[in-house]
Amino acid sequence: MNATLLPIPAERQRRLFELLEEEGAEVLFLRETLQIAREALAIDALAAYLDGEDACECSAHVGSGDFPPALGRGEASGWPSRRLAGGLLLLSEPVEDELPEPLALLLALGLRLCRLRANLKRLDFDAKYRGVEREAIYDVGRAITSTLDLPHVSEEILVRAVSLLDARRGALYLLDDTTGGDKEGRYRLQSTIGGTAREGLAREVDPETADLLPHAHHQLAVSIEVEGERRGVLVVGDKESRSGVGPFPDEDRRALSLFANQAALALEQARLHEESLERERLEREMQLAAQIQQGILPRALPAIAGYEVLGWTRPARHVGGDYWDVVPLPDGRFAMLVADVSGKGVSAALLVSTLHSALRLLLARGESTSSMLRAVNQHLIDFSASNKFATLLLVALEAESGAVAWVNAGHNPGVLLRADGTIERLDAGAVPLGLLPGPTYGESELALDHGDLLCIYSDGVTEATSPAEEEFGLDRLEAVLRGQLGATLPELRGMLEHELREFVAGQPQGDDQTVVLLRRR
Amino acid sequence: MTESLKVRVDRRDGLAVVNTEGYINNQGGEQIAQAANGLIEEGYRTLLLNLAGSKIVNSIGISILIEVLERMLELQGKLAFCNLTPTIQKTFHIMGLTQYAQVYPDEPTALAELRSPATPQGS
Repeated sequence: MNATLLPIPAERQRRLFELLEEEGAEVLFLRETLQIAREALAIDALAAYLDGEDACECSAHVGSGDFPPALGRGEASGWPSRRLAGGLLLLSEPVEDELPEPLALLLALGLRLCRLRANLKRLDFDAKYRGVEREAIYDVGRAITSTLDLPHVSEEILVRAVSLLDARRGALYLLDDTTGGDKEGRYRLQSTIGGTAREGLAREVDPETADLLPHAHHQLAVSIEVEGERRGVLVVGDKESRSGVGPFPDEDRRALSLFANQAALALEQARLHEESLERERLEREMQLAAQIQQGILPRALPAIAGYEVLGWTRPARHVGGDYWDVVPLPDGRFAMLVADVSGKGVSAALLVSTLHSALRLLLARGESTSSMLRAVNQHLIDFSASNKFATLLLVALEAESGAVAWVNAGHNPGVLLRADGTIERLDAGAVPLGLLPGPTYGESELALDHGDLLCIYSDGVTEATSPAEEEFGLDRLEAVLRGQLGATLPELRGMLEHELREFVAGQPQGDDQTVVLLRRR
Repeated sequence: MTESLKVRVDRRDGLAVVNTEGYINNQGGEQIAQAANGLIEEGYRTLLLNLAGSKIVNSIGISILIEVLERMLELQGKLAFCNLTPTIQKTFHIMGLTQYAQVYPDEPTALAELRSPATPQGS
């Protein structure tokens, strides 16, 4: 450098070289150069402005001049100025002299260094911000899987979408079974940021064209879709930059769609959770109903002199449609019955409960079986659903003589296994209860001798199905009974249940299984 | 959430607390910068930004906060944050703000630490 052309003392030149070598000292280098220029021109203040895309920003200034922080592109705004490569020099007062050329070069170098530094910072910022974006996507995904709080997740998704897209405002609308939508079935405002949004949107709203954010100059909206059906709308408004707001570029639509997809996942997750809660609630109800139904099944059987009696039921669900009972009658006889109502679950259990109450009341009155069943039939017609009915096999035993009067109202045939191994069946002779008004329920009779076994059961036993879809059947039931002629009734039960288990080989139980056994000693 | 950020300044024995409420975006960031610059002009060299009322920040807001931080560092001053949401704290960490600005869980902790002679660096 020529000291006559560039009047910089050696000390300051050394300082400039030091600053050039110092990392991050670009602004200080420019400021030092400005100070040299200020002294060379003998003026109060100087400022260097870096050319930007839409404005010139002040990179450094020295002296007491109150310069504006930014200028319009290439504009000096009335200040005395000098054009530099890559920027503009503002002076606090007009000067006649031109800048010495080497000084102008130094200032241009300072500006160039500041620009490189700014670019580097911007690239560093952008790279780090990509990290913020990745974390945001990860965090939203984690929020969706770790919480079932839909309002919280919606807020989280909207906050991330608005902040990552540099939107000034945004809103999330949902139409959802879980949140209920609003009374008119419109999309309901779930969450909003940055000012007013509409309270609700019509079902047929077109997010592309509708004005969803009244104060926004620019908006970008996408649908939240679950299985092809629109369940909500995610909208952001006014893309921010340092110079104000503008429209959203095309690539922002993809980012917003990503958040909309996550909102859809959250909705689906919430719906599945609701379903699961509903299932749990039903399960609890079923357990309660099972407890109640357990209460109406016999806890202890009456002792019948000269007879063994045993009964059990194994419901297919918590509560079943089978009912059995053994009841002493006012005339000294014993009634024994198995009933099977149509359907399963709670509705069947309710009918069982009705049947139980009616039968218990009427049996206690000592009415004849035929008049009693006519009354029960009418009761069921009057007070249960039209498609509900019950089959029933009722026997009345006169213990001492072994005389049995029986009625089969549409039920599976009872099995009478004589002591000599022969079998008789108690076939249905009447229509089920609750189907038709005014049927007759005529009694049949038989006599139990010593060693005879009477078995009444529900169709869940004979219709138990093997993996090959074959039914257990009445023949197999009779074979099991015949094969256990000398066994006690508990042993017989054990054998029958074993045979059923072997037969179904793990197939789920399709229907309630009820058996009542009566043997004359 | 309201349209614009609310800023409240508490001056406390040589350090100033800037409380914010709302979205730290372009407008919000500028309001914070304006408050910080005013305090710097008043001579404050230790600023605490209490962001308890701010749940959301965007890239423009962050870039403005970085500028405030740079100015404080240039003046050998100190900028600290407290009451950050986990999301904002993570964002500041990724963006590198926490390398140069301390982050405290709450205002009493921040004030105690900033006033103690041996303030730990970073968080």
